[in-house]
Amino acid sequence: MPQNRWLSWLSPLLLVVLWEAAVQLGLLNRIFIPPPSEVVVALAKGLADGSMVADVLISSRRIALGFLIGAIPATLLGIWSGLNRTVYLLVRPLATMLYPVPKIALLPLVIVVLGIGEVSKIVTVAISVFLMVVIHTIGGVMQIDQRFFEVGRVYGANQRTLFRTVALPASLPAIIEGWKLAMGFALTLIVGVEFVGASNGIGYRIWQSYELYSIADMMASVCVIAALGWIITIGLDEVERLVVPWRHTVKESRMPLLKKWWGAVRPWSYTAAIIPVLLGASIAAQQGGLNWLWLALALIGSIAIQGGTNLMNDYYDYKKGTDTPAVKGTGGALLRGEMTPNQIFWAGIIAFAVGSTIGLYLVYMTGPFIFWLGLCSVAVGYFYTAGPFALAYVGLGELAVFIFMGPVMVLGSYYLQQPVVSWPAIWASLPVAFVVAAILHANNLRDIDTDILNHKRTLATMLGRAGARVEFYVLVGGAFVSVLVLIALGLAPWPTLLCYAVAPLAWRLMRTAATEDAAEKLHSVLRGSAVLHMRFGLLYVLGWVIALWV
Amino acid sequence: MQAAPIVFIQAGLTYPNGVEALTDISLTIADQSAVAVVGPSGCGKTTLLRTIAGLERVSVGSLQVAAGAKRAMVFQSGLLFPWMSVADNISYGLMTRGTPAEQCRVIAREWADRMGLQRFIDAYPHQLSGGMQQRVGIARALAIQPDIVLFDEPFAALDAQTRLIMQELVCDLRRQGVCGTMLFVTHAIDEALIVADRIIVMSARPGRIIADLTPQLADVPSADKRALPAFNQAFADIWAQIRQEVDVQMHEGVN
Repeated sequence: MPQNRWLSWLSPLLLVVLWEAAVQLGLLNRIFIPPPSEVVVALAKGLADGSMVADVLISSRRIALGFLIGAIPATLLGIWSGLNRTVYLLVRPLATMLYPVPKIALLPLVIVVLGIGEVSKIVTVAISVFLMVVIHTIGGVMQIDQRFFEVGRVYGANQRTLFRTVALPASLPAIIEGWKLAMGFALTLIVGVEFVGASNGIGYRIWQSYELYSIADMMASVCVIAALGWIITIGLDEVERLVVPWRHTVKESRMPLLKKWWGAVRPWSYTAAIIPVLLGASIAAQQGGLNWLWLALALIGSIAIQGGTNLMNDYYDYKKGTDTPAVKGTGGALLRGEMTPNQIFWAGIIAFAVGSTIGLYLVYMTGPFIFWLGLCSVAVGYFYTAGPFALAYVGLGELAVFIFMGPVMVLGSYYLQQPVVSWPAIWASLPVAFVVAAILHANNLRDIDTDILNHKRTLATMLGRAGARVEFYVLVGGAFVSVLVLIALGLAPWPTLLCYAVAPLAWRLMRTAATEDAAEKLHSVLRGSAVLHMRFGLLYVLGWVIALWV
Repeated sequence: MQAAPIVFIQAGLTYPNGVEALTDISLTIADQSAVAVVGPSGCGKTTLLRTIAGLERVSVGSLQVAAGAKRAMVFQSGLLFPWMSVADNISYGLMTRGTPAEQCRVIAREWADRMGLQRFIDAYPHQLSGGMQQRVGIARALAIQPDIVLFDEPFAALDAQTRLIMQELVCDLRRQGVCGTMLFVTHAIDEALIVADRIIVMSARPGRIIADLTPQLADVPSADKRALPAFNQAFADIWAQIRQEVDVQMHEGVN
């Protein structure tokens, strides 16, 4: 069976290849039907100048607002009508009558009443969403098995408890189904609405390409809206999984594959890859607009390299046999026999290939500085555990991580947006550098006894347990103190104080590190440090983003 | 608890659409007794149970249920809430009465252990087999420490072996004294004889009581009484009564 999975990829791939060939061979006129390669170029251009992202954001905002304004009252009214006969008789006929009206037909009327501005577009979407959701919600509530209410009554539930424990959960699947359908309608509708009365948004973009006869741009926009629809579908599926979990456990037979890869690739370990990139970009954004394409590529590239590293580590650890199932924090997908070593190895290779291709592209676009930065990172990565002077084993691990997963990565991301070597960006990266080093140090603190036995020299073994504790306080505390210092010196905006929201977590971690010796407990400090890094980093970045407006 | 928590006096029930489900029911059920109700299908056994549960009202005569008696019901096909975990289903009757969540959790765990469901405490009902679902249904009923437990053909949808196991389980629970006053509606005569001490036989619709038997089979509730010669005798007696009613039904073309 797994082999057959490839078949489902084959037909779209074949179509693209044949299409490209037909155009290149002159069988199709490229003015009417441009080849896929031109569409990709048009897409990249649109992303690079930021206009595509801006249009997608504008359309997304219209959809989101229209959806919320329509769906929330519709859900409430639908539930009420489902439970109350009078309300049902008042609402249902009206909803059923209006439902078949093509909502785009109402747009002119809405424009007459509300003007041609933003409101009329949102309202048109909202009307469509409202009707869809109301009808589905009523249906959902009415089809509840009445016997469930009897169960509730026998067990002493009053009206409110019945609503909360029976009516609501029993109708939720149908309500969410209505939301999903309504979202699909909203997406269709917004394109139509933007064809007619808009000067921005993804629909307008498609129409404009038509008027300029730029078919490649048109197709690129269509691809983007398809991607948007896809993302929304996945998002709503995720919402469904969260809200009606009892329905989805059935599909477990389909899940393992995704779950296995999830476990092997360990996406939750990527905050160290993501946060410096986001931080560099948000610092650069203070100086002016962003190149969204390069930011996206930098993120994907950084994640790919991190993912490749994870996979390769697993592969080589498995080959060397150093990991046993008891070892904590390792990938384990191999150890648990969920994947073959070959699968892991090739996945790692693919991840590195993606990462380096993106890297080379960015070097090509922005010049040699990024190249040297990347080369140094690769060298440090290599000498981290290899060679006679393995950095990790001469007590330089924390320093290497501090520099390269802090200032270097932030500067790299900054440089993509603003091609200068910026000292303020380097200073501003220090808080993040402190926390990322704290993760590594938490690891060394946990392993201090076994490392001493194995003559591994980490900073922790050199300082001894008491000293290593102090080092942990310095790193975690340094993150928080450096934010204050940066703000005082005017090197960071005041909203970055947001990261103090995670101070309680940091305090708990330091307390545990101060009082516990057991590797078990210190393992929880390690995990906590990773969480701290993510939350602290995201809040710090958020502070910089907020500073764009305040 | 008073001597007779459930007393019907010449009670009858006619639905608004004119169908007469029960007629002339006079029945006194003693505290802590285990009574089974058998009869041909559609005879109003379930309706009888529903009046005690408070889901229906008798339209003539009277039904008195001891004031403040906590009632619990085990439904045909379980009727667990699909959106709640096993633990939340078990503690539902506690939750509705305002028991704190933590205590609900403790009691749910206790009952799950008792029912052999400890590994499934966080599962959803659809992940369980029919027999396990009905165990949850019984746990949900008994977790509230009911004074009256009503079983409405709880094992009708289970396969033959699971039924036997579930009947043994009910006998166990009765021996542990957690079932309070028990009413057990079933169409299976052997099941009635195993789980109960007193058997009420009902007529075809409109249901009335045509026999009230207390066969002396065993001192303690046990599935072993199936092997006794007296068991077969009692079975034959009851079947003879029901047989007549089924024949009546068939001749009248009902059902």
